[in-house]
Amino acid sequence: MTRRLTVDMLTRVEGHGGVEVVFDGSEVKDVKFNVFEGPRFFESIIKTVHYDKIPDMTRRICAICTASHSLASIGAIENAFNVKNTPQTELLRDLLIHGEMIESHALHVYMLALPDFLGYPDAIAMSADHIDAVKNALNLKKAGNMIHTTLSGRDVHGMNERVGGFSKAPTEEELTEVKKMLEEVQPVAELAVELFKGFELPTLNESDNVLMAIDPGDRFGYLGTHVLVTGGERYPEEDYMKLTNEKVYRHSYAKHSTYNGDPFMVGALPRIQLNHDKLMGTARELYKEHSDMVDPRNTLSNNFCQALELVHDVERGVEVIDTLLSNGLEEEDQVEFEVHEGRGRNAVEAPRGLLYHDYRFDDNGCITKANIITPTAQNAANIEKDIRVMASNHVGEDAELMKNIEVMIRAYDPCISCSVHLVRLR
Amino acid sequence: MKPRVGIFSLTGCAGDQLQILNMEDELLELVSHIHIVDFQEGSSHKEEGPIDVAFVEGSVSTETDRKHLKEIRERSKILIAFGNCAVEGGIQTMRNNEGSIDERLKEVYGVEPGFFDARLSKPLSEYVDVDIDIPGCPVEKEETIRAITSLLHGDLPPRFTYPVCVECKLNEYPCVIVESGKPCLGPVIRAGCDARCPGLGLDCIGCRGPVDSASGFAAEYNMLLEKGYSKEFILNRLRVFSGEVKEDFLGGDQR
Repeated sequence: MTRRLTVDMLTRVEGHGGVEVVFDGSEVKDVKFNVFEGPRFFESIIKTVHYDKIPDMTRRICAICTASHSLASIGAIENAFNVKNTPQTELLRDLLIHGEMIESHALHVYMLALPDFLGYPDAIAMSADHIDAVKNALNLKKAGNMIHTTLSGRDVHGMNERVGGFSKAPTEEELTEVKKMLEEVQPVAELAVELFKGFELPTLNESDNVLMAIDPGDRFGYLGTHVLVTGGERYPEEDYMKLTNEKVYRHSYAKHSTYNGDPFMVGALPRIQLNHDKLMGTARELYKEHSDMVDPRNTLSNNFCQALELVHDVERGVEVIDTLLSNGLEEEDQVEFEVHEGRGRNAVEAPRGLLYHDYRFDDNGCITKANIITPTAQNAANIEKDIRVMASNHVGEDAELMKNIEVMIRAYDPCISCSVHLVRLR
Repeated sequence: MKPRVGIFSLTGCAGDQLQILNMEDELLELVSHIHIVDFQEGSSHKEEGPIDVAFVEGSVSTETDRKHLKEIRERSKILIAFGNCAVEGGIQTMRNNEGSIDERLKEVYGVEPGFFDARLSKPLSEYVDVDIDIPGCPVEKEETIRAITSLLHGDLPPRFTYPVCVECKLNEYPCVIVESGKPCLGPVIRAGCDARCPGLGLDCIGCRGPVDSASGFAAEYNMLLEKGYSKEFILNRLRVFSGEVKEDFLGGDQR
């Protein structure tokens, strides 16, 4: 007999998605991670648009990862036109992406995921018993948004980071204020690690995972030019198509990716697992102390890894600001470069994992073809794999299974708005 | 009794409801004055029944969106189009004048008509009566708080009836069209952002949508033509956030 279980609408995630599990007796017949979010055709609408306006448009794919999209977009354009940035620009961008991680992870770890572990429907209900935790979390998130506002112009969909530099450099006073705020919230970031290390993770979804993350160089971070894969392979960002083989399914406006035919995972767990030896300071200490919480076979440990990243992000943010302040801030012009026909590809780590932008330009600098691959689109196949494993291992009430599946999916911190982007089929 | 409030999203980036979560200093105070019956991004709690004020972000881009919007309208006393996608149709409406949804699905997904339930993206007002607009991509936090406070006091929220140019001049920012020849849309875009982009030396890209009356734009349009921007370029820029803006909206010299 066939039995169909569903979660109609996932909550506490960005965007609209659901789950379907079909059993034939005790056998799992089919699983689906449904994406209902409407399509927005970004790759198609940016065609013929001049490069200078592209980041303003593509960052609007996603609100919570707006700076990741903007930086991925700017990077792809700069790779096409061989733009060489100033050291100040590089530092400001590094600070900006760390700010993005703080606002996004603070929201997800404390406001969206924590209620699952403490048994509340949301952070507001949670605040009745845990008012300090919620207030602290809001403060931590505010620190991330302060970085956005100071460097990018506002919390969501800023505009100040441009191709070849920043339109207006932040002042030393503004950066000092941000630093003060980061120092104030450092304990809140550490508390997130304390909280999540204490939670026993469900193990129903345990299975092998192929992990992918950017190679950040010597220091843990989110920008780089190569991608690392479980097992030690390393690919230049230009080869991203080898890593993300996209396919269209009727149940989803998000295309699903596979690597060598297997699903894979991107996000905080892959970043920590593949790059933990590059962590410094308190984040490094905390990793060593709790490395057993980082389980590459259990995607639910993604929450703990986000908490660990929060500690890194806050510390690294302070460090970058110190460097900027000791160098002294210059009001720099955007660097000059020559526009020509060409192609640029760029990978960055968004809060939810690897993000690729790939553009081709005509000799006026207008887009002729674009391809954007978001982290949640890459994770979709792995999420379905986890659902299948959980359904196969499950004994007991159906409702409990569906609740556990929802918690598992939430741990990926899916950004369904982002996943609906689209690629032109070859 | 506290007013019953729903926060809903259709197709978009969820940035407008994120702005509610971004009110870090005001959020807890704010929610103490209202009863939230639906907030998919922020909560698993959900209630049926009538709604006093519904905030709806996103555009109508699928048949599912259209049905959802109709249901929200039926149960809501006041429906607010929340953000640029809801008010104007958003960035996904930019190319509505170029080709059908079937062609686009074929091009981007490589699928035949009927494979998905997608339709051309439209603003909420295309399908239902909208009581209040809160524009912006994303909405301004202060404007949103002001709107909620006004409603709590039984007033209608204030509406900006003048363009960004006015705020820019009040701030005494140098004009980016005159000074650096940038294609700034400030003269025709609704104010309320305090001219943030010109303040950073950047041209307004129009994320708050067109001002109610665009008369007076003829001079501006000609200025842009004189700076060497083509009509196609300017229309493309306007369409990014101003939905299905018609060519005659530009007025002015059509050379």
